[in-house]
Amino acid sequence: MGYTASFALSLPEIILSFGAIALMLAAAWAGDKASKAISVIAVALLAGAAASLLGPSGSGGVGYDGLYVADGFSAFSKLLIYVSAAIAIIIAPGFFDREGEMRAEFPVLILLSAVGMGMMVSAIDLLSLYVGLELQSLAAYVLASFLRRDGRSAEAGLKYFVLGALASGILLYGISLLYGFSGGTSFHAVAVAMHAGVGTGLLFGLVFVLAGLAFKIAAVPFHMWTPDVYEGSPTPVTAFFASAPKVAAMGLLVRVAIEAMGPAGDEWRQIMIFCALASTILGAVAAIGQTNIKRLMAYSSINNVGFALFGLVPGTAYGASGVLTYMTVYIAMTLGSLLCILQMRDAEGNPVETIASLSGLSRTRPGLAAAFAVFMFSLAGIPPLFGFWPKFMVFDALVDVGMWPLAMIGIATSVIGAFYYLKIVKTIYFDEPSDVRFVPLRSTTEGVLILIAALFVSPLGYFTVPLLGKATLDAATALF
Amino acid sequence: MIQTIAFYLFAIMVVLSAGLVITARNPVHSVLWLILAFFNAAGLMLLVGAEFIAMLLVIVYVGAVAVLFLFVVMMLDIDFSELRGGFVRYLPFGVAVALVLLCEIVIAGGAWEAGPVELAGRTALAPDPAAIPNIQALGTLLYTRYLFVFEGAGLVLLVAMIGAIVLTHRARGGVRQQNVRRQNIRRPQDATRNTNPPVGQGVEL
Amino acid sequence: MASVAAQYLPILLFLGVALLLSTAFVVLPIAVARLTGAHKPSTDKLSEYECGFPAFEDSRMQFDVRFYLVAILFIIFDLEAAFLYPWAVSLREIGWTGWLAMMGFLAELLLGFAYAWKKGALEWE
Repeated sequence: MGYTASFALSLPEIILSFGAIALMLAAAWAGDKASKAISVIAVALLAGAAASLLGPSGSGGVGYDGLYVADGFSAFSKLLIYVSAAIAIIIAPGFFDREGEMRAEFPVLILLSAVGMGMMVSAIDLLSLYVGLELQSLAAYVLASFLRRDGRSAEAGLKYFVLGALASGILLYGISLLYGFSGGTSFHAVAVAMHAGVGTGLLFGLVFVLAGLAFKIAAVPFHMWTPDVYEGSPTPVTAFFASAPKVAAMGLLVRVAIEAMGPAGDEWRQIMIFCALASTILGAVAAIGQTNIKRLMAYSSINNVGFALFGLVPGTAYGASGVLTYMTVYIAMTLGSLLCILQMRDAEGNPVETIASLSGLSRTRPGLAAAFAVFMFSLAGIPPLFGFWPKFMVFDALVDVGMWPLAMIGIATSVIGAFYYLKIVKTIYFDEPSDVRFVPLRSTTEGVLILIAALFVSPLGYFTVPLLGKATLDAATALF
Repeated sequence: MIQTIAFYLFAIMVVLSAGLVITARNPVHSVLWLILAFFNAAGLMLLVGAEFIAMLLVIVYVGAVAVLFLFVVMMLDIDFSELRGGFVRYLPFGVAVALVLLCEIVIAGGAWEAGPVELAGRTALAPDPAAIPNIQALGTLLYTRYLFVFEGAGLVLLVAMIGAIVLTHRARGGVRQQNVRRQNIRRPQDATRNTNPPVGQGVEL
Repeated sequence: MASVAAQYLPILLFLGVALLLSTAFVVLPIAVARLTGAHKPSTDKLSEYECGFPAFEDSRMQFDVRFYLVAILFIIFDLEAAFLYPWAVSLREIGWTGWLAMMGFLAELLLGFAYAWKKGALEWE
């Protein structure tokens, strides 16, 4: 395979890397005054990278001597990643400008992180997996502490960094064991070795790799960093963390589980079942007592990741397509909620994050209240909102392979989870208005984004089912 | 025979100095023990024939990372005796974590006996170390077959650079910046002048 | 494998001899002083010598955070240099592909360097 063909396969990464480096230089020469222009160009670059997925980089197969693959699965995941990254870039200037902290490096770091995420979902070798993961994580650590003068932001960055480095170490140890006991770093070599029999060494490699990846998607028991990081990071960064890296890590996990560890399905299935159950239960129960809305969103993301993992448990194409559908709807719901949280500013323009400040919002800001309610109902998975559909899909996939007891437990935990979402809706609609008055919506872009997200997760979203169902199933079939 | 002795020497030294890193009371001493541990690890790498990795350990870890650690230790204004106050309180939890990790290491070590290490499968890639030096074998693969991850590693370094500047650099007032253009256009006649002062009158500056 | 490690035997021996000699240089004077009875420590003898002044503060002082940035930049370029060694010795085998690969890698970091320079990360005062 020639290099030219390989370059064509990785065109999205190449566009983004070149663009990021050019914008980095622009950031140095034009300074922070040019942040807006750089953000616009960065979004255009993400759009260009997404457009390039129509070419060979969307379905061209394996490149770089088996380090990289461009298939339907990677293309679909990349599309989600680029959309989420673009939204994070769009909402950032409005937030940081008020702090006087908007710097031109923000879109550059998001772009480089997007390169890393693209490498993650296209990795079919443990080496490219690791380099992609590190590229994404390193940019994320910096983004978490982007508000330098804010102690909580610095704390979030430090916690994320220390725990992330530990997780990387665990992952690397697992990779070294997999390499040692299978004789190769490619997913295929690992699968061949596991097909011949899963010895203790391979089993340990599998456990460590899955533990490292579970940290990145914040599945219980590797979730402990999430609430602090989500709370401390600037809200646009929280929105980014809750969407794009989640999709990338989930895509990576699905690919590793199916392509590399497929023959050891019985082994990883136990781990996934545990993670899924523990995440849904802990995410639901621990969220109940929260008073900070961003912490609540962190527990909500833990809870949702648990549900998405249920789709991976059957190990079928239908289940994997359920994971992709889940992630698609999840990022719409979570980005919508965080965009609403971004509107929570008091008269001086300072961000307000307490749930109590939302009380009686329906009387002061009916539009925002309605949007909040739609996202909360959807996150709770209450029909007829669209949030119900992916939950139905993953449980349907479980029932398909005869795992209906697990599906029953999953449905039960989603009922527990519904409690705290509904509590917020109750606070918004039935409590006396609080003294905090939010400033009116300033940015039309944010308003439009909230509207789009709300429409997508509303019952209107079911119109996308034929399209979404086919796209995710095609993407998932590429793995098998 | 010598190799066996050297192995045990290096291995014991690594473990001992690693232990001293965490038990030393003075953090600067910890860093110095860490450097000793790096040196011995480099020795172990040499024993298995990985020359390049051994030299990297010395150049990168001892030469750069340990220096960075020293800087960080010196930058922190922390009362270390106060920091140790929580030691007893956190001891049970720490011991529990340590025991879990120890169990994992022991079991994973035991796995070495259980299954064969399939390094035979990679012979297609790895040339005979006696024929081609380690570093050359690495070079022939790293820049061609692993081109993709190599360039990716370059991007990781770039992100590290941007991140360090974004997080720690702030524009200071009164910085005497180097202006290369001004330096270049400056001619001798702008900076110097010849005078011929008469004796006893001095020079007007 | 054995041959690789064996090439380093002289260094090991050298280190052994150096360690032996340096230990001897430290231990012997102390031992001789004790044996001959010249070992009479006092407060003045044991305190640090600071240009004749009495020592008045801890020698450990806080560093400026700017050292950190310099150290990080140093590590990054140190790693860049480390990648050059295998490239240099294998350039004959890897040909133009390898040469271009390294140029791409260098360009990434060179532009990063330009960024750092322009941002003033290398300025001190």
